[in-house]
This record gives sequence, structure tokens and C-alpha cells, in this order.
Amino acid sequence: MKTLFLKDMRYRRARVVLTALGITVLISLILLLGGIMNGMRIQARQYVESTGADVWISAEGSGGAFIGFSMVVEEYMAFLNSGPGLAPDSASPLVFAQARPSVRGKSTKAIVVGYKLGQLGGPNHAIEGKMFTPSNFEDYRPEDPVPYEVVIDEKMGLEIGEQITLSNEKVRVVGKAKSLMFVLDTPLLFMDVRIAQKLLLGNTPHVNMMIAKTDTNEQPQQIAAGLDALETIEARTLKQTLTDIIAYYVDEPMKAVQFLRVMLWLAAGILIGMITYVTMLEKTQEIGVLKAIGGSNGYVMGLLLKQVVLISVVGVVLGLILSYVFAAAAPIFVAINFVESIIVVCISFVVCCGSGYLAARKAIAVDPMIAFRGEI
Amino acid sequence: MTAVVEGTGLTKRFGTGDATVVAVDSVDIRIEESELVMIMGDSGCGKTTLISLLGCILTPDAGELRIDGALIDPVNEDLSVIRHGKIGFVFQLFHLLPYLTAVENVMVAMDIASTKTDAAEKRATELLTQVGLSERVHHRPAQLSGGEKQRVSFARALANRPKIIFADEPTANLDSRQSDNLMNLIQELRREHQTTIAIVTHHEGLKENADRIIEMKDGRIVTT
Repeated sequence: MKTLFLKDMRYRRARVVLTALGITVLISLILLLGGIMNGMRIQARQYVESTGADVWISAEGSGGAFIGFSMVVEEYMAFLNSGPGLAPDSASPLVFAQARPSVRGKSTKAIVVGYKLGQLGGPNHAIEGKMFTPSNFEDYRPEDPVPYEVVIDEKMGLEIGEQITLSNEKVRVVGKAKSLMFVLDTPLLFMDVRIAQKLLLGNTPHVNMMIAKTDTNEQPQQIAAGLDALETIEARTLKQTLTDIIAYYVDEPMKAVQFLRVMLWLAAGILIGMITYVTMLEKTQEIGVLKAIGGSNGYVMGLLLKQVVLISVVGVVLGLILSYVFAAAAPIFVAINFVESIIVVCISFVVCCGSGYLAARKAIAVDPMIAFRGEI
Repeated sequence: MTAVVEGTGLTKRFGTGDATVVAVDSVDIRIEESELVMIMGDSGCGKTTLISLLGCILTPDAGELRIDGALIDPVNEDLSVIRHGKIGFVFQLFHLLPYLTAVENVMVAMDIASTKTDAAEKRATELLTQVGLSERVHHRPAQLSGGEKQRVSFARALANRPKIIFADEPTANLDSRQSDNLMNLIQELRREHQTTIAIVTHHEGLKENADRIIEMKDGRIVTT
């Protein structure tokens, strides 16, 4: 009777369904947490990579671009552009600052990216509308200031011509750029570097960092190391910057989440182990009878393990499917990595089966003498 | 006559130290082929422990056991093979699996013995017909009366053509009419299957059905 274990499961279907659902929820949570972290990593990288810069320069002691407080004076621009190893005139100033603009009367998180149009740091073309009006960058305090204009992320949901308030000033939306959300779906607001300095840096002639491209013949590591040796600045390659930014914005703050993922794994294992064990306790009489009428430990173990494996497979596969459904509906960017999810599913399956096996092993130690007592 | 079960000096103790209880004390017992034996005695005299020893559910602390002429080695032998191959059990509380129908409950015993499903289903149906349950083969235990459950239990015990069936208080949960019907059935099955049957009971009224009565007291056989 190959279906004996299925008949037992159907008889105890409420418990079976609850166990499988418990595993489903835990597995989908594990995968979703991984997907959130993965999404944060992707978002941390995408703007940095989109700039096309090879070298990132920040103030000495800042710990690198995007990490600590960094204010660099613009005079370095001339120095960098005349220095060896960098592509001619590629050094670009960059303001990268967190802000709380008021959008449709509601305070919203955003990151202002102030850069020089046509240079590294932001898009050169809007996918809708137009780019902001560029300032005469060389003139720090132009007599004829440029209008306050911003190019927003296409996913912000604002229309061209709308205004947002930033540092008590009205800034008009003139265009939309391809979505490049930063960590945790923080939209980027692209504007002229002079406007960004005025609105966010107290109208000082500083920027947060400078970025540049190396000559095609040069190794970015060597150029960055050479610049880093200077006393007043820190320089990093793209690779180092990505490592720093992911560590700073994702890995370190998400340590607790990683811990939680491990805990969830343990919870999934304990859940199935516990429910299997409780179910076994309920079935000790049955197990005793099966043993008394000649069922070997292997026979009884086979019945129990088939149930454990089936519940684990159903729970884990449903968890996998559900995680993708939840990811699509999540209010933040969740990127579940398929290979990682398969690994998670396999490990979870092993954890569930392992704990179920331990519970089943305990259960088959039942003395068949129990068949002479009590009721099923 | 040939002994189906033969125990010599069988002893079983439970507990340790001062709390040790000798449940079965140096019992010599021999049950012949096709015999219907009743093991009687007061509660706690060791009847159930004795059939557990004879049925290879418990292993003796001392003594020897032969089943169908073969000496049982409880240390090196897989007793579950002997249990499903040579022994059938009927329990006081029937112990049918609640999620299976009557026919499936009988088939379980054959499944354990690796009988193919088709053959097992055929035999289970035949046995249930013999015990008068041809109309109840697809009923679950909850849909059967106590007497019917015990009949299914006997059909299950007979499934693997055992040398001996041990029945522990099979009539304890039945009314007198059901008890009489069951005893008639047992006699019928015994004639038909040539099976040896050992029944543990304290029901004096059943004595007349037995070929032999074994009386136990304080773990020992006092009359045989």
C-alpha cells in the first residue's frame, strides 16, 4: 500500500496543511529578506556604475565617497584635470546629498545629485521632457543665476511642470530620467551642481566628491593609489567604491536581518521537527501497533519520512512561489536571486527533513508493548 | 503433537533494585498445533507479559523460546520478521488504524510482509467475507461496532497465515452477545485455517470454548 502515508496525511489534513503553511511562510520570509538585501545591493551599485567614472575622490578622513562627511574644494578640479593618468577634462564635481523635499505637500526622502551637465555624474538626456538648464560652472556666483530645475526619477510619479520644495525653494520638474533608485527605493533628483550647492551646501564652493575617468592605457588602481597618497583627499577605484558602498549601506545595517534569516531557518527546522514530534506523540499507539503486528523500524520510519519529505517539499516549493508573488507586490525593490533561492530551498529542505528525521527516530523507539494498552 | 510455541524457563523482570517486579517467573509453556488455549488469572498476574514474550514483542531476561520448532535468538534475530511471518495479534482495544477502511486495515499486515497490493486486497476481502463483514469492507473503524472492529482485528491477525494468534482480552469490550458471536467465529476460523490460538482472558464464561486452560498467579503457571 504505497498510499498508506497519504491516507494518514489526509486523515490529519488540518495539521498537515498548517505545517506546510508554516514552512511556506518561513521560507518565503527567508527568501524575501534575501531579496530585499539583494535589491539594496543592486540599487547601491546602479547609480555608481551608471556614472561611468573609474576614480572617486573624497575628502581626507571621509572613508571614501558616499561613506563619511566629505567636502572637497573645487580647486582640485584643475589639479585633477592637469594631472597624469586621467582622461582629459574628465574630472567632474559631484554633490550627492540626502534631502527631504516636499512633494505634493508631503515630506519625502530623496537624494540630490548635483553635477555638471555633459560631464560624469548623471544623465545627459532626459527620457521625457528636457534636462535642467546648465549653469556657467566656472562662474561660482553668476550674476544671472540659472532657474531651479530638476530632473526626477521616472518612477517618482510626478508630472513635468510640477514643483517640489527643497530647502524652502520651489524647484520645477523639467524632465524625467531612467530610474536609478538608490538603496531602499530612494529616488535621485538630478540638478545643476550650482543649484545643489546653493540649496543644500549653504552656497559654498564645495562639492561632496569628484569623479573622473582614467586614460584608457592606465590602471585605475594605480591612479587611485597615487591620488590617495595626497594628504587632503582620498581616492578609490570604482571597485573599491562599490565594495565600500555595499558594506556601508547594505551589509552592515543588514547584519541583524542576516541573523534573522538564520533564525528563520532554525525556526523552520524547529517548526517541522516540533510538529512532526507532536504528531508522532499522538501516533505512538499506532506506531506501537504497527510494530507489534510486525512492522520493522525501517517500515515505520519509511511511513513517517515520506510524510516529512512531502510536507517539506510542498512547504518549501510553495514558499518559493509565494516569495516571488510577495516580491512583485512589495512596496520596495526586492530582487530574489534565482540561484540563491534554489540554494535556500535546498538548505531549507534539508533542515526540515533533518529535524523531521530526528523526531521520527525518536518516535520509532516506541515500545510495541504499548499496543496492549490505551486507545488509538 | 508438534509444539507451535515452546517456552522454557521464561522470565521477565521490570524495574531495578527494590522496585523490581518479576512479571513472568521461570515459566515453562508449550502450545500445540491447532490448539485453542486460554490463559487466565487475576489482573497483574503476568498474562499479557507472557503472551508478549511468546509473541516476540518482549525479550525474556532468562529462558528459551522456540516458535515452530526454531530457537529464537532475540539478540541477533529481527523479531519483527517473526512477528509478521508467524504470529498474529488481536488486541483488547482492536487498534485498527482510524484512517483506513476495514479492508485496508487487513492489508496493512500484508503490506508489512511485502505482499503485493493486488494479492493483499484479494486476501483481505476474502478474510473479511469469512468474518462476516463482506458488506463493511470499505467502512472506517469509526463506522463499525465493537464486535465488527474485533472481527476486522481477527482478519488482520490471519492475514499473513500465522502459526499462532495471540488475542489479549478480545471480548473485554464486547457485550455478551457479541462475545458469543466472536467465540463462534474464532472456532470457525480455527477449523478453517488450522491456526493455533492463545487467548488471554479473565472471562470465565469463555472457558468452555478452550481445549486447555492455563491458570497464572504471581507470574507463574499454576494449572495447565
